[in-house]
Amino acid sequence: MALNLANWLTAHLGYSTVAINYVVDLQQKKQEIGKPKCVLELFDTFPMVQGKSRPIKVLNRLTVVASDPSHFRPNAEYKAYDLVAVYPKTEKLFHAACMTFDVDIICVAVTEKQPFFFKRSPVNGAIERGVFFEISYTPAIRDSTMRRYTIANAISLMETCKGKNVIVTSGAEKPLELRGPYDIANLGLLFGLSEGDGKAAISTNCRAVHLHGETRKTALGIVHTMKKDQPLTVRQEEEHVPPSKRAKIETV
Amino acid sequence: MYQELDKCPRSLLVCEKSNFEHEKSRHDTHVSKHYFNHKVSVVIPECGALSSRLASVINNFSKYFLVKNLPVYEFLDKDFLKNVVWNGALYALSYKTSIDQDNTIALLPNIVTIDLTNKSMDPEGKRYQRVLSGLKERVPLKSDFLLGRHNSGADGDRALQSLLSRYQWKEHRPVVSSHTLKDLPCPSLHALDLRGDQRSCDPHSFLEWLGAVSAGVSCDNTAASFLSTYVCPEPQTLVSQALHCTVSGLLLPEDIYSLLQELRRYFDEPKFTSWLSLTVHGFMDSPVSWGDAEHGFHKGGENFYNLVLFKNQDYWLHMGTGSHDRCPP
Repeated sequence: MALNLANWLTAHLGYSTVAINYVVDLQQKKQEIGKPKCVLELFDTFPMVQGKSRPIKVLNRLTVVASDPSHFRPNAEYKAYDLVAVYPKTEKLFHAACMTFDVDIICVAVTEKQPFFFKRSPVNGAIERGVFFEISYTPAIRDSTMRRYTIANAISLMETCKGKNVIVTSGAEKPLELRGPYDIANLGLLFGLSEGDGKAAISTNCRAVHLHGETRKTALGIVHTMKKDQPLTVRQEEEHVPPSKRAKIETV
Repeated sequence: MYQELDKCPRSLLVCEKSNFEHEKSRHDTHVSKHYFNHKVSVVIPECGALSSRLASVINNFSKYFLVKNLPVYEFLDKDFLKNVVWNGALYALSYKTSIDQDNTIALLPNIVTIDLTNKSMDPEGKRYQRVLSGLKERVPLKSDFLLGRHNSGADGDRALQSLLSRYQWKEHRPVVSSHTLKDLPCPSLHALDLRGDQRSCDPHSFLEWLGAVSAGVSCDNTAASFLSTYVCPEPQTLVSQALHCTVSGLLLPEDIYSLLQELRRYFDEPKFTSWLSLTVHGFMDSPVSWGDAEHGFHKGGENFYNLVLFKNQDYWLHMGTGSHDRCPP
């Protein structure tokens, strides 16, 4: 019910794409990553985006809270999600997430003091790989102490990344915690983002994250396979050998 | 760290003054090159109602069409090109697309990035075939379009109707609304003082006042309500009545030009007021502002021009754009 309300409001506020977040805390033992609910099951009809003739787009996102690199083992379950995010609790995991993990988003702490400093080399590594840093704004709405942590942590991130590869997201659980996109772009100014970066944090950077998530389902980000409906003849079956087994193509 | 907080997104206002009868006056270029206009508003102080001639010009504004799900390659159809595009001015703009989020498509009357009037775009030519196949197969762009055409020929009408009959379409006429405002404090303007040094107010305050009149914001600054502290800029006079008329829809530059010509004739008879103003607003999501200067939407997509007409055929022209725009000509 709350989900539905949130999405209706989003369509009224003018967002055209929304991601539903499933959080898994891998620090606790025996946590399983379930499959996300199919988006089509959640809605009878998708609400239209305000001012457009298209309906809203809904994605599934997984956020993994972890403190040890061994916790994070990407497997088939991760592929069911459109976006994968990691919330690193230690510096070691932050470094690993920036440099090696196959994720789209790295969450920055907003509800507590940042337990480690942002070093330039992992941050630049993440920027080169097309991984984005996320700052969530709803804790700042809920509580004034969290507002201080959010702004402090955000500014410290901006000093290292210079405003590049940042997205600002809501993390809202109730419709009242949502704010309009242009308001959030202005809020970015408080986080140390420039005018242009603030707008990018809610528009172009988010689209880049979405595309980055899509490349995880393709081979080397170039070849995209789709299921064919018709029955295959013998010759067609040979052509449908998975692309990864073909001769490797140079990444452009 | 917080230097950015003091700054607002950049906006540009270009002001110039001239006379309509001056041979180098560029008012006709400015009007004709601003292709996509969604609203025109006229403010005439000391006037109670629209004169019959003005009303007839406004009511004769061209009709326009809203076509749903029109693929872009249809604009390249041979028959359509020959009878509609090459034979008169056709304007098309994709409807309900935001320029900072979606593909926005606009068809300009003369030059497009695909130059439809260029000889190499002859329907039999190779380049035409390549562009057509690109639009049909590789990048199939479809959108709702607002289409407007300045009347010129029956062949064009027939070709346009045949295009429209293949898709869902609806005809619209521009919506006109006018009201008379009573006891309105009005700024006094003097034709020679554009900058607002002595005898007029400065352009920013004047445009702000015009906006307040259009939006119905009262400029009383009464202590009773603190919703607005706007005041009419000095020097000002109190006029007993003023006319405010707006037309909205897909408005063609040709129609706006005829309105401008009629407004120039307003001062042929003696009138109480010394000035009147015409404001033309461009679409916020149009890809171009003047000619083919790129237009963008950062936090606001304004691209408008305002003409102040004076008794002796002098005029002021203010052109305003937002942050992601090139400077108006």
